[in-house]
Amino acid sequence: MIIDTNAYLGPYAFRHLRHNTADGLLRLMDAKGIDKAWVSSAAAITHRNVQPANEELAESVRRHRDRLVPLAVINPFYAGWQDDLTACKEQLDMKGLRLYPNWHNYKLADKCCLDLIDAATALRMPITIPLRVEDYRQRSWLVDVKDLSPAEIVPLIKAKPQARFVLLNGLGYIASPLGQKNNNLPANYWIEISRLSALMTNEIGKLIKALGPDRIVFGTGMPFNAPDPALVKIEVLQLNRKDKDQICEENAAALMS
Amino acid sequence: MNRREFLAGTVALAATSVFSLGATKNKKDIVIDSHTHLSFRASPADEGDERLVLDAADKLGIDQLCCSILPKRPATVEGFQAANRVMAAAHKRHPDRFLGYCFVNPGCGQAAVDEIRRCLDLPGFIGVKLYNEHRCTDPIVFPVIEQAIELRVPILHHAGHSHYPVKEQPNISDGGRLAELAKRYPEARLICAHIGGGGDWEWTIKALRHAKTVYLDTSGSVIDEAMVDMAVKVLTADRLLFGCDMSWTAGIGKIRAAKLSAEERRKILGGNMQRLLAQRARQQ
Repeated sequence: MIIDTNAYLGPYAFRHLRHNTADGLLRLMDAKGIDKAWVSSAAAITHRNVQPANEELAESVRRHRDRLVPLAVINPFYAGWQDDLTACKEQLDMKGLRLYPNWHNYKLADKCCLDLIDAATALRMPITIPLRVEDYRQRSWLVDVKDLSPAEIVPLIKAKPQARFVLLNGLGYIASPLGQKNNNLPANYWIEISRLSALMTNEIGKLIKALGPDRIVFGTGMPFNAPDPALVKIEVLQLNRKDKDQICEENAAALMS
Repeated sequence: MNRREFLAGTVALAATSVFSLGATKNKKDIVIDSHTHLSFRASPADEGDERLVLDAADKLGIDQLCCSILPKRPATVEGFQAANRVMAAAHKRHPDRFLGYCFVNPGCGQAAVDEIRRCLDLPGFIGVKLYNEHRCTDPIVFPVIEQAIELRVPILHHAGHSHYPVKEQPNISDGGRLAELAKRYPEARLICAHIGGGGDWEWTIKALRHAKTVYLDTSGSVIDEAMVDMAVKVLTADRLLFGCDMSWTAGIGKIRAAKLSAEERRKILGGNMQRLLAQRARQQ
């Protein structure tokens, strides 16, 4: 089984997306052999009030909960985020969070963000953080939102050892404490592979060695990204069955259990 | 082996599938990475990252790699000559796998033109690689373009289009400038580099729509869904060249993701590049 921890539904403000309806994404997943996906709203990335987009996402996956796992986009810098979180958990049965600090005008170290992390942790919701949405070089003339760096994540990982973080769309972890063995960091974070190399520098292989296969999760970034490159990575890594199962399925499943 | 023998060999070998890794591949199935790099090193005897590159290519089923080696930039004459010497040595070590672009800085004037002539007379060199020292429409570049035209070889030009000034690359070219250059030199064989490594790829594809003589390579780390499909729709598969630019799984994954007919896939993966190389071969 393959679980994609990094998928999206709905429109994105700066580029037309295909396969961005529940049915469309499921068709793409079927074509590529991906069984389940954690999905959040692409529209919420640029909306001020994110909650209608969360509601729309929940409705769109209502009939597909066996395969599409909804995640809430919450902006802790916006009025009423506590109510949004409660509604996402209790009414919409969303299973995790997706955070966009640079898009939503807050820092990971801000009190509002730390409060959100605490609240999500109390609700046992894993917190996914995309380090980027799109490649920075193609950003629109309307917005200039910088990527998060792995180094910016480190204090949050340290500050909230009980939380469970999944880092999406990142690379360069091996040059930061996040990708190093004996880094004195809690083992409360998982790293998703969609931007990591699998050949030559082979950052995935190095992370498996440094952190263990139980800390790496499969993800594609679809439908922003084509899912095929992530699948090719799994092929060329030539993992043993146990490691492959952990990375492609078991780690993600455990995070949602 | 001299250049004439090498080029004749390229065509003959391709016809008998010797380059292909898989036993079932035929001439049409050859996979050529049109945009790769090898690491710069001081000594041509140093193999650098060649084996790592070949290992990556083997795992992905890439038969041949069209490489350039970039010295410190802006490149000096000594710098690009040293880089091209390493390229020649890499081809000599792996003649069936590595083909070379001669890298020059057009700002070096006649020395750049002379270097192209020198390299293209050596086995293994198949084209010219230009980077970002000068915009491609700067007249200082024209003698280099004219030399490549005379030799009937492709020019792989670094390119990218950002909606913000690119501080580190003030003279970067983009698809629009390459289209402008193609108007001036319709006989030039221009390759706009890395659709997935140069900013707004939708802009690039649209800017190249009417520049029928400009090819676009599919390399780069960006793996946006629909990228290759849009390029095929707007430019046709005849103008696309498969490439990775060291983003290996991205390169192969993008082609796998695209909705292509078998014939379109063959053209992009190697057929179009073979056709470009054959233009050179026919001149002999």
